[in-house]
Amino acid sequence: MNSPLPAQADRTPTDWNAPAMQKRIARRYAAERRFKLFGLAAVVLSAAFLAFLLATMVSQGWRGFVRTDVALTIDFKAAALPVDRAVLRTPGADLALAGAELENTVKGAAATQFGVGGEDAISEYAWLKVREAIKQDPTNLDRAVRIPVPASTRLDQALRGDGTAEAQALAERLKAAGLVSTGFNADFLRMSDSTDPVAVGIWGALKGSLLTMAITFLIAFPVGVLSAIYLEEYAPRNRWTDLIEVSINNLAAVPSIIFGLLGLAVFLGTWEVMGVRFGPILPRSAALVGGVTLALMIMPVIVIASRNAIKAVPPSIRDAALGIGASPVQVVFHHVLPLAMPGILTGTIIGMARALGETAPLLLIGMRAFIVQPPGGFTDPATVLPVQIFLWSDEVSRGFVEKTSAAILVLLAFLLAMNSLAIYLRNRFETRW
Amino acid sequence: MTEQTPKMSARDVSVFYGDKQAVKNVSIDIDMDKVTAFIGPSGCGKSTFLRSFNRMNDTVAGARVEGLVTLDGEDIYAPSMDVVQLRARVGMVFQKPNPFPKSIFENVAYGPRIHGLAASRSELEGIVESALRRAGLWDEVKDRLSDSGTALSGGQQQRLCIARAIAVDPEVILMDEPASALDPIATAKIEELIGELRGRYAIVIVTHNMQQAARVSQRTAFFHLGTLVEYGETDAMFTAPRMERTKDYITGRYG
Repeated sequence: MNSPLPAQADRTPTDWNAPAMQKRIARRYAAERRFKLFGLAAVVLSAAFLAFLLATMVSQGWRGFVRTDVALTIDFKAAALPVDRAVLRTPGADLALAGAELENTVKGAAATQFGVGGEDAISEYAWLKVREAIKQDPTNLDRAVRIPVPASTRLDQALRGDGTAEAQALAERLKAAGLVSTGFNADFLRMSDSTDPVAVGIWGALKGSLLTMAITFLIAFPVGVLSAIYLEEYAPRNRWTDLIEVSINNLAAVPSIIFGLLGLAVFLGTWEVMGVRFGPILPRSAALVGGVTLALMIMPVIVIASRNAIKAVPPSIRDAALGIGASPVQVVFHHVLPLAMPGILTGTIIGMARALGETAPLLLIGMRAFIVQPPGGFTDPATVLPVQIFLWSDEVSRGFVEKTSAAILVLLAFLLAMNSLAIYLRNRFETRW
Repeated sequence: MTEQTPKMSARDVSVFYGDKQAVKNVSIDIDMDKVTAFIGPSGCGKSTFLRSFNRMNDTVAGARVEGLVTLDGEDIYAPSMDVVQLRARVGMVFQKPNPFPKSIFENVAYGPRIHGLAASRSELEGIVESALRRAGLWDEVKDRLSDSGTALSGGQQQRLCIARAIAVDPEVILMDEPASALDPIATAKIEELIGELRGRYAIVIVTHNMQQAARVSQRTAFFHLGTLVEYGETDAMFTAPRMERTKDYITGRYG
């Protein structure tokens, strides 16, 4: 059967040392080196962009976490605020102090102490700090006290050599008197939005993001994974499932703002059926409606990633389990899903990261409101970090520039924390083969 | 052919993949205390036919089985037959060792656990030990039951798969070229093991190694192009095949 090949007498033996051959080898090596160089250049370029981005954000954003305080001396004994001392220990203290013209007293003290324009040296919410101090120690009302209060944006800018002439002069005077101090601005992490850049905080938006992400995850993950399991393991292959597959792939590429319109129409819209008005289904501006909308947006990503992960589980494992009498559900939950979990989680990370950074669809469902109180629950009006960044970047006041960068840093930290958690979980699921 | 009732039997079984017919009207009886070997060249339908004995073809899209396959006289393709229970009674060992990526203990314990065969942990441990002993693997792994099953050598993995199959106490074991991915020493161990398991289980082994069929089986079925060409006592078939095609194959004229 194995007849020898016909002898190739007409063919000259290959000369592996011929110059043409050597040249070909040299070209091959050159191509290899060139390709390696291009690859390295691409990596360096992307790393440089990342480093530039981080450096810019950190160099501008760190100021958002620093607050300049001015030591203000107030003589409460002389001011003699008409406040019942007994009330100061009760929840009514805030109202009582506000009613006693504390705000004007503080402003007056600043004007007296710092000279003309002195009341502009301290922040609009400086009196709130004074109020805290009095509530902590009511005996303060009987003496002259020195309380560090937040400096105004005007003074803050001037202290950095970036203010008007008068403000600059005032800053020099205060600095010379040793009244200026800087420290970590814990209020930035505790408070919510405000019209005064000195008084703004990120906590409201951060909490809004947390609540929204929780809703998004709780809806998108189970629904996405269950859809993927059904489509991979149970659904028959026919025209309908092909149609569903194409639709899911297309949905993953739909611009996010379209999902905002969908959320607006479906969850916040009202209908009139035979004289009866229905809707809106969900409360406006709330983490609930934002979370549901974002869940719809990232579900296709999770379905696609999960299907690929499930598809990648070797058929031999399925055969092994079926061969000893595992039911299809047992095969899925005991063998396929644990092996597919790392891939599923990778898809979920990508989807959640996208949802966390999303602004456009949330603007449409009213999550761009001015939220002064952090949301107390899923149905309270809320905003999220990227929307907060968008809103602050639109502000006129100079003080918002550094706050915007600081908010971006908080968003990046949130993203990193979320991804680290997901990667930790993924590594725990990872099976050694 | 025999006086006793067959453990499993196939009557006029045809298997189709879509329009293509892979197995053509095969009838065969599998006896309890014998090892039956299916031999034949690649693509002759012997593996496909084997997989119709525990309905593993159900999992292949487009596969269709016609004819009658019975286990103890019961039609296994009848709607009343529970396929999960069938596969527990008719175990299977695959061509490529496919232990679960779990510990050795979990690999063997999985079957008894899902079928509720052990009431307590100690009973489960007993089942695992006896299955590993019968698979001739106990002495090699008893000190590392919590190691991953995939960390074993190929031959050990295949014996682990056999232990996993016998842990659910099946009546029939189907082996689809169980030694084709193994070296000669591991193959010898598997063959020895098959000899020891004979009598307890009805064993059907698919192989394209004719020496292996001659060594381990008492009955041999020769398949060619989807048809059963010859079926009989192994000794007789290898010494005096009745059909010309069988003779050509076992003497190495084609295949």
